[in-house]
Amino acid sequence: MKEHNKKVSVSSRRGFFKKIAASAVAATAVAPVALSAKDDALLKEPEWGKKLGDPVNKHLYGMPSPYEHNVIRRTHELLSSGDFYASVAMCPVHELEGIITPNGLFFNRCHGGVAQIDPNEHRLLIHGMVEKPLVLTLEDIKKYPKESRIHFIECPANGSTEWRAPQFNTLQFLKGMMSCAEWTGVRLSHILKDAGIKPGAKWVLAEGADDSHMGRTIPLEKILDDAMVVFAQNGEALRPEQGYPLRLLVPGWEGNLNVKWLKRLEIGDKPWHAKEETSKYTMLMPNGKAVQYFWPMEVNSVITRPCPDYPWTHLKKGDIVEIEGLAWSGHGKIKGVDITFDGGKNWVEAELKGLVLPKAWTRFSYIFKWEGKPLLLASRAYDEVGNVQPTIDQEVGKMGVENIYHRNAIVTWEVKANGEVNNVQIRDYKKEREMIKKDAKEEVKKWM
Amino acid sequence: MDVRKISKIASLALLCVGFAYASGAKEIKLKTPSLKERSVDGAMHYKVKNGVYAGVYRVNTQVDKIKKFNHGRQATKEEIKFNDIDVRYDWQGLPDGKGSVAQGEELYNKNCVMCHGDFGAGGKGYPTLAGGEKSSLKNQLLDPDSGDEPPVKTIGTYWPYASTLWWYVKTGMPFPHPMSLSNDEVYAIVAYLLSLNEIQIDGEDLDDDYVLTKEKLMKVHMPNEDGFYPNVNKYGPEIMKKFLSDPSNYGTQTVRCMKNCPTGKVVHIKHTLDEAINPPVTTKRDLPKETKKEGGANSKYAKLFEAKCSACHTNKAIAPVIGDKEAWAPRIKQGKKTLYTHAIKGFQGMPPKGGNADLSDADVKGIVDYIVSKSK
Ligand code: HEC
Ligand code: HEC
Repeated sequence: MKEHNKKVSVSSRRGFFKKIAASAVAATAVAPVALSAKDDALLKEPEWGKKLGDPVNKHLYGMPSPYEHNVIRRTHELLSSGDFYASVAMCPVHELEGIITPNGLFFNRCHGGVAQIDPNEHRLLIHGMVEKPLVLTLEDIKKYPKESRIHFIECPANGSTEWRAPQFNTLQFLKGMMSCAEWTGVRLSHILKDAGIKPGAKWVLAEGADDSHMGRTIPLEKILDDAMVVFAQNGEALRPEQGYPLRLLVPGWEGNLNVKWLKRLEIGDKPWHAKEETSKYTMLMPNGKAVQYFWPMEVNSVITRPCPDYPWTHLKKGDIVEIEGLAWSGHGKIKGVDITFDGGKNWVEAELKGLVLPKAWTRFSYIFKWEGKPLLLASRAYDEVGNVQPTIDQEVGKMGVENIYHRNAIVTWEVKANGEVNNVQIRDYKKEREMIKKDAKEEVKKWM
Repeated sequence: MDVRKISKIASLALLCVGFAYASGAKEIKLKTPSLKERSVDGAMHYKVKNGVYAGVYRVNTQVDKIKKFNHGRQATKEEIKFNDIDVRYDWQGLPDGKGSVAQGEELYNKNCVMCHGDFGAGGKGYPTLAGGEKSSLKNQLLDPDSGDEPPVKTIGTYWPYASTLWWYVKTGMPFPHPMSLSNDEVYAIVAYLLSLNEIQIDGEDLDDDYVLTKEKLMKVHMPNEDGFYPNVNKYGPEIMKKFLSDPSNYGTQTVRCMKNCPTGKVVHIKHTLDEAINPPVTTKRDLPKETKKEGGANSKYAKLFEAKCSACHTNKAIAPVIGDKEAWAPRIKQGKKTLYTHAIKGFQGMPPKGGNADLSDADVKGIVDYIVSKSK
């Protein structure tokens, strides 16, 4: 994540990369309960079969089983800009099923705390290069025809601790800055009919009502294409962490652009260059120049079972198990996913399953016979525009390691003979060093 | 897996346009859409066809015929003026005002230093606001054990526009209560931050008595102004479409290598970050441990503390942390009266009422009692 990287680079980098022997790093997880030969669960009437359950009026808003109390977002003090108000809470991706993230587990990244907004006092202001500047209440917005669509949202800093070397032995912290939900709202193209866009307009500033007054520039073309203002996720009102009562949804694009607590849209003829598109969320290349705007989240995938948090330590030799994972791309639908067992030398095709939707999480699956032999297991997704997830060398060779954002390189799990799973990287530092180009001129000229 | 089978599946999906054999590797090159089929971000451009969007979602098609819905109402000039708080890179939106470097330093030391450090040097976990060299932007700390130096990105080395600084200080800082500085105060702080970053205006250094005005600020050219691409100011969003439609610009591939692919060495975790994960990761299914009832965690003063004081008093780099008995013992020894006075009037790094002028004295005292009760 960006600030963490900043911190690493400026102040305490050496302390940060603490010296810990590789052998001390073990999977953090506890394997699921294995059935023993003497299991007696079915030889006695359980406690809950001998008494009444809770009355229906006990939880008028339902809660997960108390046994699920470890299925939660998690935080890390280094993934912040100094405190937990400009920070992130990571989604437990390793615990999720299907493609929908429950609202209480949706990752939460904010820049000035989670604003608690009174919906009665909230307004959306639309102004700038429009015929009729508009004020809309939430009820006004809900009068327009609504749409529900399933899209992931991913922070472009997802996985950014891994540019230089592997550092987290948990999927939750490797890829937890993303989630996927069904969003309900109104296409901005409908609302902007009422405002009437003036000729020459090209850009839109979206701004939040929270402490950070998050402002981001978005091209009008996207706003009129598939962007929405949304007020609901997974059938209920947005959670405060997701911008209650209103957020912008720019499907497939950097999480930060999906401005939460949306208060203002200004239409203009030039980009704004807000803090989060200059100081941050820009990608510094090895040539010393930075890519300023980078909108879509690239094609990506990760194996979720097994993973370091959810290893195969409970498997017996000969067990037939499913290797399962998530693939996603901001460029469109997932076309397919390949899997390797030998660290990327040879690949086979996995199968997609369930709904295959544009700019949404997509599940892939591969049935495998576990023989207790060590594996280097990885997935590689490709999408509708023909983009293929890169190896670490391919990505770093082009981007270097200092750009913080948009890391979509292949994630590899080392599966040990005992079923333990570790996050490893397959890379060649020497080759990367040779590939990295430090000359800015040819690279940058054609874009200036 | 049989490669011939792969090729068959792939060509059935109309993806495979042939095999390439590079150094013995078997590769499948994917088909890519033309620019015309793409959106502004290089993504597939989806349309509604026969009432179905993107081939998957049914949609209401009546809406196309509706010219206007006429919901909401016209915004007033006053509403727009009050909320139009941004400052664009071409300075659209910059209000009048003025402030000197010396005033800025004073304001900085009152409102910002506790987080951003003396002279913006950072060190407390919050962003560093000055220092470093622009030439460092080419640095790459590739292998953490290499001894290489990373780039240093600060206002002076990295930010392309001073407009962004004015805008952000006005609307985003000070972090615990933004929108509290007057325009003149923002000019003064921006002057101070520019001077810390050794920015000149018209070839002139920003000394202590330098007074920054709107006209002067609009002359600032930041050292890294030309450090960003593609040039959207000149070419608009269209250039981004070209850039994003070609994945070779950002290291993503268009080829699936299937057999005998080049790989690398296995790099294990050497420097783990797992220890500080909160709470530690586990997939256990058990009942939560009985947590001790936190006395009055929902009380008025607990909530006020959370809202008004916790930004500093939960970070030991800045202030004594609530619950840290060691840090509070000598302070509590001074007696409640002194603590009240220090909390209300300010004390060294502690701003008066923590910077919340809206809090009544009684409330501040209530919060201090709460802090003390938690920290004994
Ligand atoms: C309570 C701590 C705190 C105080 C007080 C504070 N800041 Fe900040 N500042 C932050 C945090 C946190 C961020 C990062 C916010 C984010 O991640 O979006 C930040 C970011 C910034 C940045 C952007 C840095 C960058 O490189 O992106 C500037 C400039 C800044 N602050 C200026 C100020 C000024 C000027 C003041 C005083 C008027 C001030 N801050 C007071 C915590 C603080
Ligand atoms: C901007 C950061 C900041 C905020 C916000 C803040 N404090 Fe403090 N506070 C400090 C610092 C720094 C100190 C330590 C001062 C010293 O000893 O140098 C401190 C010290 C104190 C002390 C101990 C004073 C002493 O005599 O040792 C009290 C009591 C206190 N704060 C109460 C509060 C209360 C109540 C609030 C909220 C209304 C609050 N603080 C908000 C920074 C802050």
